[in-house]
Amino acid sequence: MSKVIEISPTTRHEGHSKLVLKVDDQGIIERGDWLSITPVRGVEKLAVGKTAEQVPKIASRVCGICPIAHCLAGIEAMEASMGVYIPDDAYLLRVILQCANRIHSHALHNILSLPDMYIPGTDVKINPFTPEEPVRSVAKRIQRIREIAQTIGEISGGECIHPSNPRIGGMYKNLQPRAKAKIYDLAKEGLVLARDHMEFMIAVFRNFQKRDWAEVGGMQVPIPDDLGYHNQGYMAADPLYGSSSLDENPRWDPARWNETRPWDWYMGEMEITDDYPEYPIGGTTPKGAKAWPQMEACTGVPLYDGQPVEVGPRARLQVFKGYDEKGTMAQQIARSMEFPDAFYKIIECCDALNCSAPVLADEIPQGDGSLGWAANEAPRGCDVHLGRVKDGRVQEYSMLVPTTWNFPTCSRALTGAPWQLAEVIMRGYDPCVSCATHMIVVDEDRRLVAEKLIQ
Amino acid sequence: MVQDNFLGNYSSCVAARSTNRAILAGSQDGGIVTQLFAFALEEGIIDGAIVAGPGDEPWRPRPMVATSVAELYAARGTKYNISPNVSFIKEATRSYGLDRVGIVGTPCQMQAVRKGQLYPVGLRDVPDKIALAIGIFCMENFPYQSIVQLVEDHANTKLENVTKLDIGKGKFWVYTERGAVVQLPLKITHKYEQPGCHVCLDYVANLADISTGSVGTPDGWSTVFVRSKKGTDIWSKAMAAGCFETKPIEEVKPGIELVTKLATEKITKNRKTIEERSSFGVGKGLRNPYI
Repeated sequence: MSKVIEISPTTRHEGHSKLVLKVDDQGIIERGDWLSITPVRGVEKLAVGKTAEQVPKIASRVCGICPIAHCLAGIEAMEASMGVYIPDDAYLLRVILQCANRIHSHALHNILSLPDMYIPGTDVKINPFTPEEPVRSVAKRIQRIREIAQTIGEISGGECIHPSNPRIGGMYKNLQPRAKAKIYDLAKEGLVLARDHMEFMIAVFRNFQKRDWAEVGGMQVPIPDDLGYHNQGYMAADPLYGSSSLDENPRWDPARWNETRPWDWYMGEMEITDDYPEYPIGGTTPKGAKAWPQMEACTGVPLYDGQPVEVGPRARLQVFKGYDEKGTMAQQIARSMEFPDAFYKIIECCDALNCSAPVLADEIPQGDGSLGWAANEAPRGCDVHLGRVKDGRVQEYSMLVPTTWNFPTCSRALTGAPWQLAEVIMRGYDPCVSCATHMIVVDEDRRLVAEKLIQ
Repeated sequence: MVQDNFLGNYSSCVAARSTNRAILAGSQDGGIVTQLFAFALEEGIIDGAIVAGPGDEPWRPRPMVATSVAELYAARGTKYNISPNVSFIKEATRSYGLDRVGIVGTPCQMQAVRKGQLYPVGLRDVPDKIALAIGIFCMENFPYQSIVQLVEDHANTKLENVTKLDIGKGKFWVYTERGAVVQLPLKITHKYEQPGCHVCLDYVANLADISTGSVGTPDGWSTVFVRSKKGTDIWSKAMAAGCFETKPIEEVKPGIELVTKLATEKITKNRKTIEERSSFGVGKGLRNPYI
């Protein structure tokens, strides 16, 4: 007979989510539901009627980890709807900003996922905050990488959190040569650190992959070889930056996207039948409590070609670079491999950037109400914003953020793993839950449908 | 360290002028600000300075990030109207890529800089990058429109022809290219002042690292208050490098007594304005900006 276990809240990621797990007698997950319980933000509703300039800035406020991705996706969705083409140098500045965001976010995620891992060759778990070596110097390296990335973001974007420099039609300001040189120097320094860091992280993840067991809350749990495997597809718009409906060959297709309600996707009401007080951070939910994923989930379930898909570093590598490894560790490794790529791109962009060129389009049409979308490859995956602008005002706005795509996919990936490792699988997706929380649901005819939750 | 109710805290006060003739040629008085920034730039104490550079219209300053001595020279002289220097303080650390910023400003701007350092709302990563803040004495400031009115209507001079504006000896002076000098009594200029200046309780930039102004010293010289540890450090280095010629403030006329007198006048007068404002209007007064 299967048992029901609930881990709520899940820890060491951004936002507020929980895991509801149906497990068999051996503790193996038969079906898992990972759902967001962060309250709905309502950015899409807030956007309607605002000026196109305002909306991306509001949208970037959904999160403080990847506001850059949301800001850029929002701005490009507006530009796509209005038909604005930006100067090349503005694009280069945006790419620098994008890379800076990716580096800092990936480095931050390392801090969150390292405590699940072991120091290679030992049975000692990594505590990133310990003053002892070798972890101490790794933590310092992570700090420095983040500092470098945030400073680069600050220079190119005006701010590293909620960037002020990107605007519709390009950027507010180009860089002074001195600032460009500073970015260049920082990227050169970062590249060396990033390469060392990538090698360290990959060694740690490979070591976990080879292990037979992991210790969770005093329990010795076998690690399956297929930890985090799923058979859903992958979706990515670009290896690094993004795509929009203005592109000659758009790499994302709104016609293939559909969204369904959590009501149709998640499990129904059930009672928690088992609890483990020794599980880390306060134990699992006590026996007898009720869980109702259908009603509690605060996200829609977006489908691409009728299926949930995975987005993120592995999806990018899988779609564009032929990376074919599966599972949670493969995901972590893919993430680590993106560090040097991003630094190389920053250096490349610095080389190409002309500091005295204009960074704002000469002509900015005000929009005729046609649909525009932009897919930005945020650190956590493909972040699609869709919008309609007419006469400078936003008529319709929607955000399809990475973790929203990953919720149902990760729920599928939980099956077959010991329940104690469910959080490890979840962390492989680098979840960023708060921005994922949206309740704009459309039916097959693309009409907004009344939602069960909002009744 | 001297502690004075009106002149603030300072470690030393001297009369000084730059030893560089090129700086003195275009400076308002002793060329203190230009010389200090030029020295700090050359020594690598600052990467650049936010100064009131030339704007689009004559005598209308625009904040400018000067990263070379030549750019500093372009910003010499007092313009007597508002240059929102603090608005550049974040941009200087962003698209200009500066790590050590120098800034010059009026007492209110120094207050803003220090407040920004204490509560960096909207100034992320800026506080630790302010390497040198130089304050200038200020009785009150004028909007640009006032300067246009004063120079073009009261002094009957086209602004383009003006070579220097000055306030001293109880008058507003307009020097023109062709040698004419117009003086307006300050009685005339009062109504053109910024009303916001009338609640200011700071005359000699008490919060700056170093503050300077013409009052208290003969023509061509400036009074300099060295205030903070940072200011003392930079000032002594500049002195050692021979940047300035100085005299003890006690030996010059009119001396620090005049500075104290004017500071007392300004602050007493403005305290009264603040008091008046507190019962201004019906039922509720205007807020005291200092509490």
